[in-house]
Amino acid sequence: MNKKADVWQGTLALMVLRTLHALGPLHGYGIARRIETTSGDLLSVNYGTLYPALLKLEQEGYIASEWGLSENKRKAKFYKLTAAGRKHLTREAREWERMTGIMARFLPPAEQTS
Amino acid sequence: MRRARVWFRRVLSLFQRGRLDREFAEELESHLQLHVGDGIRSGLSPEEARRQAVLRLGGIEPVKERQRDRRGLPFLESLGRDLAYAARMMRSHPGFTATVILTLGLGIGATTAIFTVVNGVLLRPLPYLQPDRLVYVSETLGGRPNPFTYTRDYAAFRDHNRTLSQIAGYMFFAANFTRGDRSERITGGLATRSFFDLLGVQPALGRNFLPEEDSPGGPPVAILSGEFWRNRLGADPSVVGRSVILDGRSYNIVGVLPRGFRVPGQYGGDYTFALWLPFAITQNRAARNEIMLCAVGRLKPGATLQQVRADLDALQQVKLRRGIQKGIVVSEWQNEITHGVRRSLLIFLCAAGFVLLMACINVANLLLSRAATREREMGIRRAIGAGRRRILQQLLTESALFGLLGGMLGLAFAYWGKSILVAFLAPNLPSLDPILIDRGVLFFNISVAVLTGIAFGLAPALQTSNFDVMRSLKESGRGSSDGRSPQRIRSMLVVSEVALAMVLLSGAGLFLKSFFRLRSVDGGYKSDHILMMTLDLTASKYKTATDQTEFFRQALERIGELPGVLAAGVTTSPPFSLYSYTLSGVILEGQPEASTSVDVAIVSPDYFRILGIPLVRGRIFSPVDRDGSPSVVVVNESFARRFYPNGDCLGKRIQNWDKENDYKTIVGVVGDVRTYPEDEAPPEIYCPYLQTAGTHMTIVVRTAGDPLLMSAAVRSRIAAVDNTQPPHDITTMEQAIDEHFTPRRVKMQLVVVFAVLALILGVVGIYGVLSYTVRRRTHEIAVRLALGAEPTRIIGMVMSRGMGMIASGIGIGLAASLALTRLISGELWGVSATDPWTLAAVALVLVASGLAACLMPALRAARADPMASLRRE
Repeated sequence: MNKKADVWQGTLALMVLRTLHALGPLHGYGIARRIETTSGDLLSVNYGTLYPALLKLEQEGYIASEWGLSENKRKAKFYKLTAAGRKHLTREAREWERMTGIMARFLPPAEQTS
Repeated sequence: MRRARVWFRRVLSLFQRGRLDREFAEELESHLQLHVGDGIRSGLSPEEARRQAVLRLGGIEPVKERQRDRRGLPFLESLGRDLAYAARMMRSHPGFTATVILTLGLGIGATTAIFTVVNGVLLRPLPYLQPDRLVYVSETLGGRPNPFTYTRDYAAFRDHNRTLSQIAGYMFFAANFTRGDRSERITGGLATRSFFDLLGVQPALGRNFLPEEDSPGGPPVAILSGEFWRNRLGADPSVVGRSVILDGRSYNIVGVLPRGFRVPGQYGGDYTFALWLPFAITQNRAARNEIMLCAVGRLKPGATLQQVRADLDALQQVKLRRGIQKGIVVSEWQNEITHGVRRSLLIFLCAAGFVLLMACINVANLLLSRAATREREMGIRRAIGAGRRRILQQLLTESALFGLLGGMLGLAFAYWGKSILVAFLAPNLPSLDPILIDRGVLFFNISVAVLTGIAFGLAPALQTSNFDVMRSLKESGRGSSDGRSPQRIRSMLVVSEVALAMVLLSGAGLFLKSFFRLRSVDGGYKSDHILMMTLDLTASKYKTATDQTEFFRQALERIGELPGVLAAGVTTSPPFSLYSYTLSGVILEGQPEASTSVDVAIVSPDYFRILGIPLVRGRIFSPVDRDGSPSVVVVNESFARRFYPNGDCLGKRIQNWDKENDYKTIVGVVGDVRTYPEDEAPPEIYCPYLQTAGTHMTIVVRTAGDPLLMSAAVRSRIAAVDNTQPPHDITTMEQAIDEHFTPRRVKMQLVVVFAVLALILGVVGIYGVLSYTVRRRTHEIAVRLALGAEPTRIIGMVMSRGMGMIASGIGIGLAASLALTRLISGELWGVSATDPWTLAAVALVLVASGLAACLMPALRAARADPMASLRRE
């Protein structure tokens, strides 16, 4: 499976929130890398699309940002989850589970493996 | 909530663009550094690591661009940029900009000014309670409209209708109002008790009429208008309970209406009723007399005009047995009030719209010409990646900005033009409120401005944005002639402009011809140096014919003694008088059948001499023709022609219509006098005032000098006879004529102004397009001249192109005029709506102005210096 799946805008936001929830404050590059590794390198994040997604989440107030120092002592912008973001994540994650549950009934495991 | 927050942050970001851009650049840089660090650690060279990092990012500038779009309001930002750019363009071409804005300002201004009046008169609701439910009830008699209802019908409607929730009647009257030793003639109203309730107006002081006051034989009471109370009674707060004296009778004041309460008068003018009496005061239980009144009703919820009409019609036919020659007309009250001016206003609005259309066409032409010179600019924009939509947006922003600026100028024009217009039209505007530039007008103005901006900008913008990039960059935009299609667009625009000008000029020509035809009609009398004033004697004081005659005889005697007065006379119906007395069924001795109707006027012997009415045969009256001497009459030529076509009518007798077995002998024939210049003089009988009395008389004075200067002296002589009988409608014959012609004159002038504007715009349009063509073809013309072409041929070439456009324009315009002028045929007098002479004259004017417009570019083309223009290449 060489072809990597592109990431949908809507799911990208959820992944970002989830990543920040798991790891705490993180800069853009870190978020992108983390999403790639978590997906077992199956997903390829176009790094360029990550920043508009972060901006959108910030405008919506789900994440906040501040400048800090990165692991290699460089100035970097760190994003962290806000209270609203945490609530939004819970809600969205539940919705996502519900959706995938429904989808799973249509696509039984037997067919999925083929 | 979230969305609002997002918008807020996006708007906020517009003000922090610099900082945010810097911060994002830093963030990207740190991202790249982290990525590069990882790359180096995995064994790449620093250059390769950076290359890959940038690649994964998808380029630095595109990311920044996308971030900016997400961060702010891209549409607004590009609009802002376009506006700034458009403003720069305008500043750098001030002449062009001024021409465009002025042209648009004229068009939009004219349209807005007329719309202001249309809005104030036709669209704004009447200032009463729920005005859209108010209807006006009038009657027809034998198919002809009669604007009134009769009291018996009104009573039936009031008591038995099923479609109106309220109904009220009113009428106007005139009376002599006396206060102390001064008297003046006032106009008052008669209103049913329900009238003020129907309109939703409460007296500011006191109360409405009581039921017993508005019934026959009720006590004499009055409600004052706020204006009368202020101006005549000094705004006395304790006025309720006091009384006013009208025609010698005392009326108890029971209320005062709020100021500004106005009701439309019957003749469209701005009637202000000084005070109101209960309508029933005119009703006499015994005599069951019928008088006319204006009936206004309020629709029941759900009722329609048709239902009301059917309802009242049935009542009239069944209950009153009026017979089938009578009919009912029910209309919205506002329509009834404004129908007299609606057509004129719509004609003006159309004319203004035409002017606006021409302004747009001219501006479109200007922009088209400029579009050609901007091809390089657009080529560069396209080449560096601007999309066609983006360029269209920019060009339309530019023209919308032109439109808005033109609109602002137009609003200024409209503000100024509106006052002139209102002053012009005032006597004919039934508007109850001052005519203002209100929100509706502003909305109209801005909509028109933006729409015209888009309308005139679209064709040039499409043309500019739709072209071959490579071609435009290769060619320098000079020397080559246009492609076929833009040239055709331009010619079409000019042709339509000429056609529009033709239509407007035809309308103006017809109005002009009609006006001057009418103005030159000989009324049959001399109008100079005539002072007129009207008297209505109080009938309770001047009861007998002898009293009435005696009053006027004495007044004339005293006025005649005044230095500066050449002669003084009286008449019941001078020219332009609203009063005319018509007798039907006059019996002429020796003629078996009663004649159809004739007019009757009562005059003093001097009347004919004062107005210069010629005596044709026989004699005019003398002081001998008085009470007791044989009854005599003088007839006009029209009468003589009609009833005595072969033979002399002198000495023939007419049966006295007032007395049985009595005859009036015709002693003279005088020239015809037209009451209104529009109408032929009807057959008319003149009776001597010493034999036939009347209470309503107009005193006519021939003066040596300015007649108005004599009016005070004449009035004092009348007051010397009786100071409780004030004269009213004091005017000169010249003024009366002028007043009569004012509506027509105003209409004619306005249409002429619009037509002249259209002519100017048309000439400018032709000139603009031709000189543009010549400029574009300078190279070609220069080559032709260099090769030995005669300059006259060059002139011919340019002229024939111009005249071709003008000829097609005139052709189309002629067809349109023939179709459209029919719509104004009702406004014309003595000239057909398709008058060939007018149309020919208009076409000639257009050809002549078109020739002038073509000549200059043609001469310039012929004078082109081949060497200079070729060297420039």
